[in-house]
Amino acid sequence: MSEQPKVALRKATTRKGRIYFCLTLLILSALYIAAFATTPFGVSSSAASPLDTLRRIFIVPITNMEYIVQFPSYIELMIETIAIAFAGVIVATILAIPVSFLAARNISRNFSYVGKAILNIIRAIPELIFAIIFVAAVGIGPYAGVLAISINSIGMLGKLYAEVIESIDMSNVDAIRASGGNRIQSIWYGVLPQVLPEFSSYSIYRFEIDVRASTVLGVVGAGGIGTPLIFATYQRNWEEVGMILIVVVVFVSLIDIISGKIRKKMV
Amino acid sequence: MIEFKDMSLVYPNGHHALKNINLKINDGEFVVVVGMSGAGKSSLIRSINRMVTPTDGELLLDGEDILAFKEKKLRHLRTNVGMVFQNYNLVKRMSVLRNVMAGRLGYTGTFRSMLGLFPQEDLQLAMANLNRVGIGEKAYVRADQLSGGQQQRVSIARVLTQQPKVILADEPVASLDPPTSHRVMKDLKRVSKEDNLTTLVNLHFIDMAMEYADRIIGLRDGEVVFDGPIDQVSEKTFEQIYGRPIKDDDLLGGDEA
Repeated sequence: MSEQPKVALRKATTRKGRIYFCLTLLILSALYIAAFATTPFGVSSSAASPLDTLRRIFIVPITNMEYIVQFPSYIELMIETIAIAFAGVIVATILAIPVSFLAARNISRNFSYVGKAILNIIRAIPELIFAIIFVAAVGIGPYAGVLAISINSIGMLGKLYAEVIESIDMSNVDAIRASGGNRIQSIWYGVLPQVLPEFSSYSIYRFEIDVRASTVLGVVGAGGIGTPLIFATYQRNWEEVGMILIVVVVFVSLIDIISGKIRKKMV
Repeated sequence: MIEFKDMSLVYPNGHHALKNINLKINDGEFVVVVGMSGAGKSSLIRSINRMVTPTDGELLLDGEDILAFKEKKLRHLRTNVGMVFQNYNLVKRMSVLRNVMAGRLGYTGTFRSMLGLFPQEDLQLAMANLNRVGIGEKAYVRADQLSGGQQQRVSIARVLTQQPKVILADEPVASLDPPTSHRVMKDLKRVSKEDNLTTLVNLHFIDMAMEYADRIIGLRDGEVVFDGPIDQVSEKTFEQIYGRPIKDDDLLGGDEA
């Protein structure tokens, strides 16, 4: 029997590949060293020690009866936060659908760049900035929060929707075109039934994100539980901060569990 | 009547799919187009509803050159020329009846169709057509719950519901097993005779073509190499069309038990 040449699992590396690898390694290590060398690790605390602050945030609220009884009083504000997220995501879903069709290459051909540009611009602006703008425009309160959440969510939902549309089977769209349907009809009967389950799933997922986001938005006065949270931190009232965080964690976890179950059933 | 006059089709990539086609197809004929894959069968059939657009010559449907049609007339043309696809092309997540109603979209206003407000007589027509192909009781079942043969029958019901004059069928049984293929072809032939529809079917199985065609058109390399009624066709004819001896692969076999 003749001698078989050895088979390696990986393709043999070229000289050029090795040089690139070493170069990348070198640059990355240099960046890490620079980062560690310039970061100040010293703790420059105020009068209170950091350990004591952490104890007041995380331990006191769940061990001291005086704070535990406050739990229900924050539920109403948490529900407002959830309502802001819910209203925001519904508005975002409705508005994201037309933008996503504009951004999908298989539907809008060359115009898809217009849709993609709109979505990129929206996603480039942080939601906190939207919230500050809308608080200035419509005043402090949940209305500004809803506007900020909905505009911001369009960016992500529109992009995900467009990707769903680009991945569909176009053959039944052809069939509807071939039977004399116009563009809108072929989208309504050929595309929408294919994409709606995934659209809903992404909207629910975005709702999870928006519950967290709208907590943060309260910090700039856009309604919900974020407002007392920021006041409590100003007053260094760490027990109250801790209590509010517990309420947020409980509700966010609940929503994640429920929405995860719903999404699993959907697709 | 469908009339091809010196029609040619060159794809943008330079592929010469059809070369100087001259044919006349009479009303009510059941024509089977045969040829090996790549011979231009699909291109020929898809020219008739302008899913592809020939680059040269004329294609007359009842005396009108359809190659000149633009958006609005094109849609009107497509309501008159229905199509059955190899992969059925149903919307899998929609019910059978909704899929069949897609055949009425060309007759229904955009807004009405979006709301699903189809006239009652259209719904009656769709239901009647489902019953004609024997799957009326599946009307409210989701399309992806059906077997391949049933799905192809749904697509035949869809095409009938658009009340066309011409049916084009592009390899309608290529994804089905032999007994199912025969049942679907029998259904297609029966309804097209009942409604006196002109029908063009692409097939690559010789025995299928022989069994169902009134007339056979043979294509090779984009040219018509045979055209004649079924009684002039023999195995020799197919050897001439395929340009090689007939093999077992060219036969479907398994006539309906």
